[in-house]
Amino acid sequence: MSEPLDSGTPRDTLSRRSFLKGAGTVAAAGGVLGHPAHGEAPAAPDQDGPETIEGTVEVELNINGETVQVEVEPRTTLLSALRHRLQPPLTGSKEVCDRGDCGACTVSIDGKPAYSCLQLAVDLKGKEIRTIEGLGTPERMSPVQDAFCEHDASMCGFCTPGFVMATTVCLEKHPDADLDKIKHEISGNLCRCGTYPHIFTAALDARDRMREDR
Amino acid sequence: MATTPSPQDKVAWEPRDEMTVLNKDARRLDGPVKVTGRAVYPHDVRLPNMVYARLLVHPAPRSKLTRVDVEPARQVPGVVYAEVLKSGGEEVLYQGDDAVLAVVAAETPEAAEDGVRAVVVELEELWPPMVTPEQALADDSPKITENGNVVVAGTRGDQAEVEATLGRCDAVVEASYSLPVQHHACLETHGCVVDFDGEKATTYPSTQMVTGSTGMFARELGISRSDVRVLTPYMGGGFGAKFGIGKEGAVASEVAKALMRPVHLMLTRPQEFLMAGNRSGSKQVMKGGATKDGVFQALYVEADKHGGMGRGSLPTPPYIYDVASNASTIRQVHTATDANRAMRAPGHPQASFAMESMVDELSYAIGMDPVEFRKKNLSSEVYHRQLDRVAKEIGWAEHEHRTEPGKVDGNVRVGIGFGVSTWGSGGRPGCKCEVRIEADGSIRSSVGTQDLGTGSRTYVASIVAEEFGLELSQVEARIGDSDLPPSVGSGGSVTTGSLAPAVKDAAHNARVALCDKVAPVLECDPDELTWQGGKVYPTGEPDRALTWKEACATVGSDPLVAMGEFQPHLHQGRVHGAQAAKISVDTLTGEIKVLKMVTIQDQGIPLIRSALRSQINGGMVQALSYGLLEQRVHDADLGYMLTANLEDYKIAGVQEIPEMVAIIDDDDTRQTVCGMAEATCIPGHAAIANALYNACGVRIRDLPLSADRVVTELAKRI
Repeated sequence: MSEPLDSGTPRDTLSRRSFLKGAGTVAAAGGVLGHPAHGEAPAAPDQDGPETIEGTVEVELNINGETVQVEVEPRTTLLSALRHRLQPPLTGSKEVCDRGDCGACTVSIDGKPAYSCLQLAVDLKGKEIRTIEGLGTPERMSPVQDAFCEHDASMCGFCTPGFVMATTVCLEKHPDADLDKIKHEISGNLCRCGTYPHIFTAALDARDRMREDR
Repeated sequence: MATTPSPQDKVAWEPRDEMTVLNKDARRLDGPVKVTGRAVYPHDVRLPNMVYARLLVHPAPRSKLTRVDVEPARQVPGVVYAEVLKSGGEEVLYQGDDAVLAVVAAETPEAAEDGVRAVVVELEELWPPMVTPEQALADDSPKITENGNVVVAGTRGDQAEVEATLGRCDAVVEASYSLPVQHHACLETHGCVVDFDGEKATTYPSTQMVTGSTGMFARELGISRSDVRVLTPYMGGGFGAKFGIGKEGAVASEVAKALMRPVHLMLTRPQEFLMAGNRSGSKQVMKGGATKDGVFQALYVEADKHGGMGRGSLPTPPYIYDVASNASTIRQVHTATDANRAMRAPGHPQASFAMESMVDELSYAIGMDPVEFRKKNLSSEVYHRQLDRVAKEIGWAEHEHRTEPGKVDGNVRVGIGFGVSTWGSGGRPGCKCEVRIEADGSIRSSVGTQDLGTGSRTYVASIVAEEFGLELSQVEARIGDSDLPPSVGSGGSVTTGSLAPAVKDAAHNARVALCDKVAPVLECDPDELTWQGGKVYPTGEPDRALTWKEACATVGSDPLVAMGEFQPHLHQGRVHGAQAAKISVDTLTGEIKVLKMVTIQDQGIPLIRSALRSQINGGMVQALSYGLLEQRVHDADLGYMLTANLEDYKIAGVQEIPEMVAIIDDDDTRQTVCGMAEATCIPGHAAIANALYNACGVRIRDLPLSADRVVTELAKRI
């Protein structure tokens, strides 16, 4: 992934560190995040502000243009929320490493690529999340998706949604990207079948098609 | 286009130049669902009331268990099941599936992981851990298999005779080559969903053997095979690692029986490295000799296979080359690590690296062009034309130094290297295909096979489309379901050789049957019909054509169903390939960059050209990856695997990929089909190592070709 999500800007949630402090007891700003859905009532706020929530909370997420309420634990990743918590689940984003090595779970958040396995769902209220399911359908594919089909850029297909997302975001940000730029932008994704040369061709073709549509 | 059929005709492949669907590029039928994230892989199966199960796999290779307590796991919110699989008092004999100590099932994956973490394990780790060949070979090592740590797998030839021949050679090279254990690293980890109601089961394994998996689940569930259905429409990579249902399938079945709820059990990524298969490592000590006329005269090999608890794989030397005087001893050296499994061309990349390196060393030793030396010692003319082709494509004739390496002068040097490959492939009985045509014009081709990413789903339809002169998109393919007619598993590149003939046979039978229906309408003889461009007409009278739909209307209210099975004369075995690699090496830092790779591959009739090129490129990428990056590493003192994730076990990524040229060998005019995927991953890493030598005179005999190894050798040449 070429660049992280905004960091250093004030978040509308509290810091990640306080989420991660301790095991079992997780601090969260309940007022911002939502209310506890299960488990214990919120503990009284300590003097420094954050209150403690156990169990699950409801969070409002904007996924592919729809606002959905999802019940998550504070530690639930966006990937897990998509695959396991949403009803119906969105399983196009794949879990391969669950630790930011492979890019198979790539989504876009506010127009930037992100590994959804490294994002906490509770952190994402108010963000525009796009998943592979939001790009196109088998009947109406996006230019990138169609180019992947045209150039045989998918074999087993397990890495494909991540590559399609990364390529899409790359071309949205850099409509005139050359091959080196494309390679740089999608270099956070891994494929084991070895489709890479086909992905490169597909990405360049998609770039040209998207240019024509501009 | 299909020309005049006759029911008496023996089914045969159409001439290639008359094909309209086959031997062309094609958009895969499953492309749209894969690129849009709609394809449901086993990992993605969600069933009502499903639980998530996770295994506790202890990372220590050998231990005496004193206590495994799952009671704390049962207290974890969300956990519905926790059982000990190996108890206090038992021993763990090796790393991997023997160290599966407990299973926890819960309402969410996170809760299942909490449960696994809560299990209390007390054990005594045994020393030495026995994870390296050196530990296995040490005199005072404990025996880790009944037959000991070293088993002689085979000897052949007369060593004394080889030594005598070596004595008459102009050049003799003595060298030891080694390759580390490689992992399949399928992006979808092993695992399955088991949905069992007490009598019948539907299972969703990530498998390369749909039909055969029914029996395995039936055994674990204690029901008959006909009560098990296996559904694997898509799976995320196999490469040889996904034949059995594994320990994970057995445990998932147990949990499903206990809970009577659907169970989703997938390995975690570290577990995938620990217990889901690997390519055996290898050490090959060789003594080879050649005479100045370019004849590889003699070869003596002592080779060890490092297959953990498995036997390892290595074809018998001298592998592809003709060496009249040869002798070898191959041993299995066992370590307390999980058994090797089949991995794309088992044994061949290991044999290829050693042999192609030796061949290269000898050619430079006698001052002969390495391409010419190879041709001189390969009897098959196929290799000669293939080597010439890749040499041309990589620019060998224009290359500055072909019989001696480039200089080490601190600059970036460019080198070119070569290698050849072979694979048996072939096919066997076991596939049956059903072609069903309805009166409304719908047509589908069904067989319970699997598509590992090779394109098998697509040719299951395209062979039928070719038969009737239809577009590929007009034929539906159904695969990935054990309720469909059976298929062989996908191993040894036998899928195409086994499956495509059965599909062709079914298509042929369907055409003969439909001709019988259509002929009376067109008032002609059934074997005087031409199917072309979505129409059928009496041969030579296209103006009397029926459309496909009109032709199908003759079928009537019941569908026309035709079956087909394996027809040996439609397939063949044995494929050949040659590869070339061009690299640059920074002689200051040792950094290698692969600039270009070329492969030519034969396989008889190219069914789907675009999918073939994908396979060829994929094989090259995996060979490049093995050559430059991949190795399993253990801490020899503690026995723990240090590379059990994708940040430490490196596989080739976007930035490693060179210009790649995949050439389908159209000079192979065999009118039969054959699988070829495995051959393409065999010689690439050897070609890269040989290119490194050509570039700067550094011969690295141990993979991977890491910069530290290169720079160490470079220092010796300054």
